[in-house]
Formats: sequence, structure tokens, C-alpha cells
Amino acid sequence: MSKRWLTWLRLRLKGIEMNEISMETLQEWSKLGHRSTIGETLLLLGKENSNVYVTTADLTPTARLTNFLKAFPDRLFDVGIAEQNLIDFTAGLAKEGLLPFAVGLAAFVPMRCAEQMRINMGYMNLNAKVIGIEAGVRFGPLGNTHFAMDDIAVARAIPNMTVISPSDPRSIYKAVFAAAEYVGPVYMRLTGAPGFPILYPDDFDFQIGKAIECRSGRDVAIISTGSVLAEAIGAADILRSKGISARVVDMHTIKPLDTEMLDRVFAENRLVLTVEEHSIIGGLGGAVAEYKAGFDRSPKQLICGLGDSFRKVGSYEFQLQDNGLTASQLADLVVTNLS
Amino acid sequence: MSNRNSVEFIQKKALAMRRDCIEMGYAAGSHGAHFGPAMSCIEVVAGIFFSAMNHNPQDPFMPTRDRFVLSKGHACLAYYSALVEAGYFPRDLMRTFKGDNSFLSGHPSCHVKHGLEVASGSLGNGFAVACGMAKAAKVKGEGHYVYCVLGDGECDEGLIWEAAMNAVKNNLDNLIAVVDRNSFQLAGRTHEIMNLNLEAIWKAFGWEVRVVEDGNDVLSVITVLNEMRSATSGKPHLIIAKTVKGKGVSFMENNLAWHAAPMGKDKYEQAVADLAALEIEGN
Repeated sequence: MSKRWLTWLRLRLKGIEMNEISMETLQEWSKLGHRSTIGETLLLLGKENSNVYVTTADLTPTARLTNFLKAFPDRLFDVGIAEQNLIDFTAGLAKEGLLPFAVGLAAFVPMRCAEQMRINMGYMNLNAKVIGIEAGVRFGPLGNTHFAMDDIAVARAIPNMTVISPSDPRSIYKAVFAAAEYVGPVYMRLTGAPGFPILYPDDFDFQIGKAIECRSGRDVAIISTGSVLAEAIGAADILRSKGISARVVDMHTIKPLDTEMLDRVFAENRLVLTVEEHSIIGGLGGAVAEYKAGFDRSPKQLICGLGDSFRKVGSYEFQLQDNGLTASQLADLVVTNLS
Repeated sequence: MSNRNSVEFIQKKALAMRRDCIEMGYAAGSHGAHFGPAMSCIEVVAGIFFSAMNHNPQDPFMPTRDRFVLSKGHACLAYYSALVEAGYFPRDLMRTFKGDNSFLSGHPSCHVKHGLEVASGSLGNGFAVACGMAKAAKVKGEGHYVYCVLGDGECDEGLIWEAAMNAVKNNLDNLIAVVDRNSFQLAGRTHEIMNLNLEAIWKAFGWEVRVVEDGNDVLSVITVLNEMRSATSGKPHLIIAKTVKGKGVSFMENNLAWHAAPMGKDKYEQAVADLAALEIEGN
């Protein structure tokens, strides 16, 4: 019996039906970006599980929750522009057995309400989920107040907190359903501009804490998290044309890290690149380096992400370029370091 | 647990709780304890546990139980002493207060089996969580109440007012909050640190507000607690209980030095003697 079928059966028995999403829907989500993906995914989850509630801090239209609100006017609670209360109110709902998903801007959640997440999600170990939309620098033109460069660092330092960063429309959908199934506090950061590509086939298996090997390769391992995975795969394609074999890993769960996958990477690859739309301090790169520190011998690691300075203002494309996160820049970095 | 206890019974419980507070705080040795803010709210907490609240120490997970959240978590001695007197955990565990690996930490952690619903002590947060718990009860159609005790200094926290707005928006009339108005906070008198007209502000936020002029008088406290429970305004309820910081121990009353301090043997003996005198007076 396949794992996927078992997962499906388990979800069915619990009253949660995880339908495969039609290609038309996914293409629509891809075109519209991660906000539409999360809004519509929560609507689908809400239809399957009547215990799912959504809380938000004035983001109903922004996070495309309007359809959820129409379908379930009694299951969406807007606390106003008040992120600290968003988390505590959500924790109170979870304490009493509801399954709440709090949706906020990743620039403000978890940074502004880090303490609420620490005490009332982590310490209380409550079954509450927090979704941070517009993580990273997609809000490039809006300036540094609206960049979320540090949300992984904040969230993963909290004991009990699971931290997830899905990479494409289909994995956002699967990650949300997986988070609903998982019992415990979860922070999920979402990246992916309008037009972010569909990277996975419909039958891929998404499990929290289980990284996905998108490409096998022996020379370099590019370990990525979030929608920048598309650039990592692009880099692997460029490298292949140069005769360099690149493994690509989607480390969609940053906490807990898939250390089995890392053990394989450290044993089999000569160079490791970690790639993320997050500060080079405290994110995926930091998490991998912390684990790697326990090895007597392990490959060199290059941490690719947002530099440790407040970033320039500019378009998303400019931001990726300015931070060295485009496929060609990543490929060049590998070539330089392998030669 | 019945909520038909007599005033005299609750007064005796309050005195026993004060003794428990002194025993626990003394046992903590050089770690010290927040005596003053616990002693001020003893009648409030006793009134909630032994008059207002529907609960059963033999069945701490009972779904229909009323919930209690001590948002001013530093006053945990008042909370722990109520739990001991109600029978949530054995009396001899009081000795472990602040000790190695004890569940009786210097601010409450979450152990529902011992009657500890919510981790608190980071001010503002317990109240905001209590609002979420009251909302969940409404959503689930459950009839239980959520009781929450706040500090007056705690009302400086912005989060209190984020949550206060939201409680009114959600018509949380199953939420009964009490501000322990002892008029002191860590660094001084509340009117010197941040001079808030709490009655006016809570009313302006849309809460049903009642002031208890003597929040250390059991009859006054339980009268208002029970009136709030039967109120039909549809609004969340806020009681401002004017209390005396350090109430019951002569050298602690209105003495900021006893907000939090370690207690030596001589002070312990004096505190015990003060409480014994109160008992004689009560009889």
C-alpha cells in the first residue's frame, strides 16, 4: 500500500478529504500568486473540516479570504490591525479545541508578535497555525518596513514550533492540509509572486519534515526553501549544460530539518548551496550549518539569501538579482567554487 | 464544586490561602516571591474559586468547567493557594514552589490536570488568550464562563486594549475580568507611573464595568461576581476591585518593597503571627 494512499485513507477517516487540485485551478493560482493560493486553499480546507477557523489582522481581501468569509461568515474572525492579539486570540481558540489558522503579513507576523508565538503557541504547545504571507522581499517597492527577512529566524528559535516554507502552488495546498493534520503549532511562510511556476506533479508526496529531492546529482547539492526553488532548479539546468551534476533538494520544512536527507548530501556531494529568500542569518542556511557543525568532515557550504543589511527598494526581479538569487547567479557561484 | 459556599467559608479559605502564600514564598528562600500582588487579590481569587466558578478539582478536564486565567501571573501564589485549598494538588507540593523541576514556577505554566489552564506572567497575554477561550465557548455553544484576573499596572500594556476591543466586538458576555486595583506596580504607585482612569477607559471601550470599593471584602466581591454572571447586557464584564497591596501582613501592606522579595525567618514569623491575629479577630 503506497504512503500516499495511506495518507489519503487517514485523512478520509478523519473526515478530511484531500482532493487533487485540477490543473486549471493550479494554473490560476500560479498566475495569481501565493495569496490566492492560500485563500482558496483555506476555503477548500474549511469545506472539508468544519473545525477549521480563520483569524486575520485586517487582511481578508489581501490574503484572498473573501470567498472563505462568504462561505463561512461565522468562521472568520478579524481582530483588526493588532497582530499580538491575533496570535493570543487564536491561541485561545486552539486552547478550547478549535483548529484556527491565523493569517498575517510575514513582515509583522511573527516579528511583531514573536513573544505571543513563543508563549501561547510554543510554550503552551497549542494546535494553532500561523500563515505569514508575502515573506521575503516580494514587497520590494514598498520598502524595508514590509520585507520579511527574519521570520524564519524568529519562528525556528521557538521550541515546539514547526516551520514550513512551501515552494509552489501545489505544495502550498498540500502543506496547508498537512499542517491541519499535524497536531502542534506551525508557522508557515509563503513566498511566490504572481506567475510562480507549478513545480510538482499531482502525485508527489508532501510530508512535514521530509525534504523532497527534485533532482539527483553528485557534484553539488542545492538545498532550497520556498518559491526560490524555481531558481535552484534553473541553476541545476544551467550546470548540467556545463557538465556539472547538481542535486536539488526542496527543504520545505525548516524545522524539524530532514537530517536524513542532509546526511546523504554531506556524504555524497562536494559542495552545498543553501538558497532562501530570507536573511543569511538564522534561516535555512543557518539551520543546515548548525547541523553540519557536528560533522568531522563535511562539504563546504555557501549560504545564499538576503544580505545582512537593510535591502534596497525595487521590483521583485531586481531584489532576486541584487541578492544573487537568480538561476544564473547561483550557477555561476557553483562553477566558481567547484573550479 | 458547589458555588453555594457561605461568606464565612470563603473568608476562612481566604485566610488559609494567605497562610499558604507565606508558606510557599518562605519555602522559596532566596528566590523570593511576589507577595504583595498575590496578597492583594486573595479575596478576588477566593471569590472566583469558592463562589462564582463552576469547577471540579476531581475532574480538572471537565468540558463544562468554567475557566480561570491569572493574567497577572506574578501573583501566582494566590492562584496556587486557591488550587491547594480546592484540592487540585497535595498540600505538601507547596514546598516545591520555584524549586528544581517543579510545576509551581514563579509564573504559572500550563498544567490543566493541576488546574493551571494558561501559562501567564508575560503581562497582557493571559487576558488576550482568555478572550479567545471565551470566543471558542461561544462558537461551540458551550455555556461556561471564563474568569480572568488582571493587574492594574498590567493595563499599561497595549495588548490589553487590543483584546478589550475585540472582546466587545465579539459580545463576550461569558467573560468576567477583574482588575486587582492595588494601585502599585513594580516601580511605584500606578498613578505616578501611568495615571489611568480605568473605570472611564474600560467603559469607553464598551465593557460593562463595576467598581468594588473594598476588594478585600469577601461579601462585596462575591456579590458583584455573581451579579455579573447574571447580567444581560451582552457586554463583557469588568470588575475593578480596589484592594490593598500586601493585604493581611502588617509590614507588607502598601509597601512596595514587598512587591517581590525573599523572606527571612523573622519576617516569616511575624507574617504568621499577623495572620494568626486575623484569625482570632475573625472568630
